[in-house]
Amino acid sequence: MQSQSNTSSLQSLVDDWSAEKQAFQVPWGKLMMWIFLLSDTFIFSIFLTAYMNVRISATAPWPNTSEVFALTIGGIHLPLILIAIMTFVLISSSGTMALAVNYAYKNNKKLAVKLMLATAFLGAMFVSMQAFEWSKLISEGVRPWSNPLGAEQFGACFFMITGFHGVHVSAGVIYLCIVAAKILAGHYDGRSLHIVEITGLYWHFVDLVWVFIFALFYLW
Amino acid sequence: MGIQTVDESHEVSSLAKYFKVWILLFVLSAFSYMVDLFQLQGYLRWTLVLMFMMLKAAFILSVFMHLGLERFALKTLVLLPPGAILVLILFMAVEGQYTTQSREFNFSQLWQQEILDFKDHHSPSE
Amino acid sequence: MAIVDAGTAIADQPAHMHEPTGWFTQYVWSQDHKVIAIQYGITAIFVGLVALVLSGLMRLQLGFPETFHFIDPNAYLQFVTMHGMIMVIYLLTALLLGGFGNYLIPLMLGARDMVFPYMNMLSFWTYLLSVLILLASFFVTGGPTGAGWTLYPPQAILDGTPGADMGIILMLMSLAVFIVAFTMGGLNYITTILQARTHGMSLMRMPLAIWGIFVATALGLLAFPALLVSAIMMTLDKLLGSSFFMPAIVSLGEKLDYAGGSPVLFQHLFWFFGHPEVYIVALPAFGMVSEVLSVHARKNIFGYRMMVWAIVAIGLLSFVVWAHHMYVSGMSPVFGYFFATTTLIIAVPTAIKVYNWVLTLWRGNIHLTVPMLFAIGFIFTFTHGGLTGLFLGNVVIDLPLSDTYFVVGHFHMVMGVSPIMVLFAAIYHWFPLISGKKLHDGMGKWHFWITFLGTYAIYLPMHYLGFLGVPRRYYAMGDTGFTDTSVQSLNAGITVSALIVGVAQLIFIFNLIYTVRNGKKCERNPWHAASLEWQPAVYPPPHGNWGDKLPIVYRWAYDYSVPDVQQDYIPQNVPQDAINELSKPRGKSL
Ligand code: HEM
Ligand SMILES: [Cu+2]
Repeated sequence: MQSQSNTSSLQSLVDDWSAEKQAFQVPWGKLMMWIFLLSDTFIFSIFLTAYMNVRISATAPWPNTSEVFALTIGGIHLPLILIAIMTFVLISSSGTMALAVNYAYKNNKKLAVKLMLATAFLGAMFVSMQAFEWSKLISEGVRPWSNPLGAEQFGACFFMITGFHGVHVSAGVIYLCIVAAKILAGHYDGRSLHIVEITGLYWHFVDLVWVFIFALFYLW
Repeated sequence: MGIQTVDESHEVSSLAKYFKVWILLFVLSAFSYMVDLFQLQGYLRWTLVLMFMMLKAAFILSVFMHLGLERFALKTLVLLPPGAILVLILFMAVEGQYTTQSREFNFSQLWQQEILDFKDHHSPSE
Repeated sequence: MAIVDAGTAIADQPAHMHEPTGWFTQYVWSQDHKVIAIQYGITAIFVGLVALVLSGLMRLQLGFPETFHFIDPNAYLQFVTMHGMIMVIYLLTALLLGGFGNYLIPLMLGARDMVFPYMNMLSFWTYLLSVLILLASFFVTGGPTGAGWTLYPPQAILDGTPGADMGIILMLMSLAVFIVAFTMGGLNYITTILQARTHGMSLMRMPLAIWGIFVATALGLLAFPALLVSAIMMTLDKLLGSSFFMPAIVSLGEKLDYAGGSPVLFQHLFWFFGHPEVYIVALPAFGMVSEVLSVHARKNIFGYRMMVWAIVAIGLLSFVVWAHHMYVSGMSPVFGYFFATTTLIIAVPTAIKVYNWVLTLWRGNIHLTVPMLFAIGFIFTFTHGGLTGLFLGNVVIDLPLSDTYFVVGHFHMVMGVSPIMVLFAAIYHWFPLISGKKLHDGMGKWHFWITFLGTYAIYLPMHYLGFLGVPRRYYAMGDTGFTDTSVQSLNAGITVSALIVGVAQLIFIFNLIYTVRNGKKCERNPWHAASLEWQPAVYPPPHGNWGDKLPIVYRWAYDYSVPDVQQDYIPQNVPQDAINELSKPRGKSL
């Protein structure tokens, strides 16, 4: 059996791995989600690594992201402003998600569902802003295959990486709605609401990826 | 059988902590935005951008995703494998430099002149 | 407070939860890991036969050029590509993990099923979809892609390469779908191994087969992303005209609309997947062969712990050796030092495993059954393939040998024939469990000897061809004149052997069908194996595997030739008291 040793000591690591039956004291679904996210981490990291390599070796100059993603609002020229707002929206959604998990464990189903739907709403907002950003760039002539502003890989990387991330956010929105609906329908009555935490793991991961995209694509 | 125990630590972590981290994330994001707004450049920019990035990632992982509350075994499971990616990143950075260098070299006038000279001196005998 | 999580805890529930409700749910939409394993197995063997026929066609062309007019250079390249890709991904990966992984994991660990049976079922159907997409490419205009199984751009997507219009797109799509299927299965395998073992089954009591499958699956989950990403990027290059991998190119006298991309990047990403892929195929084979050797030599596996750590070490190291496939690619020349070194280091744990297999046989009570013959055959082929790998891992030796038949000989020995040998060993070994019947022995022996000797007749000469400078992926040597005339006669000889080996596989297929239809029920646990999968009361085990009570494990899986016990082995689920009763008074404690 697993010992009661300090949960963060090296001894606990050895104890866990040498235990019978199970190595991790978490539900199956949660462990599976973690491992899936690990695999997904590799996908996104390799996207970003490929972007780095292509950017370093591109022959044409890379456009200045600060300027490309600038907006003029009310006569003030603000660099990267839309991206900043998107970042804030996504972080907010992570906050509401964290609260949802918390209330789910306190067995406050109603509040948990409300917070999940709020999370989904913020996610949908993020995707729509991304759509706006895409259309802005497209209207400026940036395409995956060409770019009037400089290196053509800029457009290709931009659409590919933000597109793949956007697909993850959209999938997350759907996932959240499904889980919320199932909770409301009483599907998990009498059982633990682990599912909220598992959904939350996915959602926070999407936010986490955005942290890296924001730093490495927009701020480089 | 069929019973799985979870430690309760997740439930007790207080709401206040989430709000603190939430605000902290906003602040860190604002900082990294300011790096761009003030157009810091060079090593300073890179250090700051990467530092804020890592800090944000660490907070999301450890507090929002509860990794900080998990047992050591799960922490290692999540944090160690991406090490493989670091190797790839390192090599791809070096490879990118090398590709650029060889492009600069091969596309330069100098090299083309050398080819021409070479052809002049070694023209195939008819 | 304990939380009951009934929604996910299926693998741990009493058997009745697994009862299928009708023929359809039992055999088609089945969520039972054993049925899914057989579905995976049959599909994989079917595409494997397609790949085998393709190799026969290639050999016909190489052995007797200008005889078979329906094989033109384009067709040859398409055969090479489809043969390689099918063999590596759709046969070996699918059969070893989807097939044997599925079958063995719950049984060897004492679980009732995988932890997420529904997802496990989806995994198979998604895999089937990927196979169908792949096979569809034979029927589209332009045919399947002929870019080589490595799919290197720029040529993979440029006109002039066969299948550059539809074939390559279907190939990339099929790979992406395969990766989705693998991920669904793989998450199941890993979670089951980590979380759903029975009482007493600690990780260090797991049979090596499970260790191999476990580490291979982990590698798959972390390596396939690289293939997925490069497939997506290449699809964009092809369909949208982006330039990730495409530099400025003049093709057929025309400047194309590409600029600034990096073809070497693709090679790095491909091999960041590709080298772990070699071990995805090898590690389950390593594990399974250890079981077979130990059972049929009636000896515990030599150095169990060392074997486990070797598997883990190989798994870790396999992520830092990828560029040994790229010595001639034009990558940064400084990489050679690093990757040659790591490649030679990874040979150490690999060699340890070979020594341990041999030492397991040493003074064992070797029964030369058919599975054992194949297992011993594996030790030979793997050692030979591994030794040539040491040559190729060194930059200076690889430079002249790269892209010659030496390489073809090397990788067929090490990752073609060797895992196939283990697969045969495994099928002969576990067939009584799967079907309740033993495969016919005489046919099995013929099958083994023809396959084993034929393998050497095919691949040994290929190494020599490589030294003579015969290049890989060539349709015909033609009048190039830089190779000796003996090349042609060698090639003809290889072709004859290959055809014989190919036809010999029909013995095996016939044996399977014959045994299923006419074979007699065999005794329970015919090989007297100690590991858990042989302990259920009926063969094949029913849904839920274990009846009312899960087994309890008291020991490792390798207690063979134990002195003074009644039979010479102790099954994993027999407690110490029971042995004391069975054995004579002077029985020493274990
Ligand atoms: C009787 C069995 C087999 C025969 C006769 C055979 C024959 C061949 C031939 C003639 C080639 C083409 C060489 C060239 O022109 O470059 C080839 C390539 C290849 N084979 Fe096999 N093979 C067999 C089994 C296997 C197996 C079991 C595997 C599993 C790993 C495999 C993997 C490959 C790969 C990866 C290639 C390279 C494809 C490429 O160059 O793109 N083969 N094989
Ligand atoms: Cu390799």
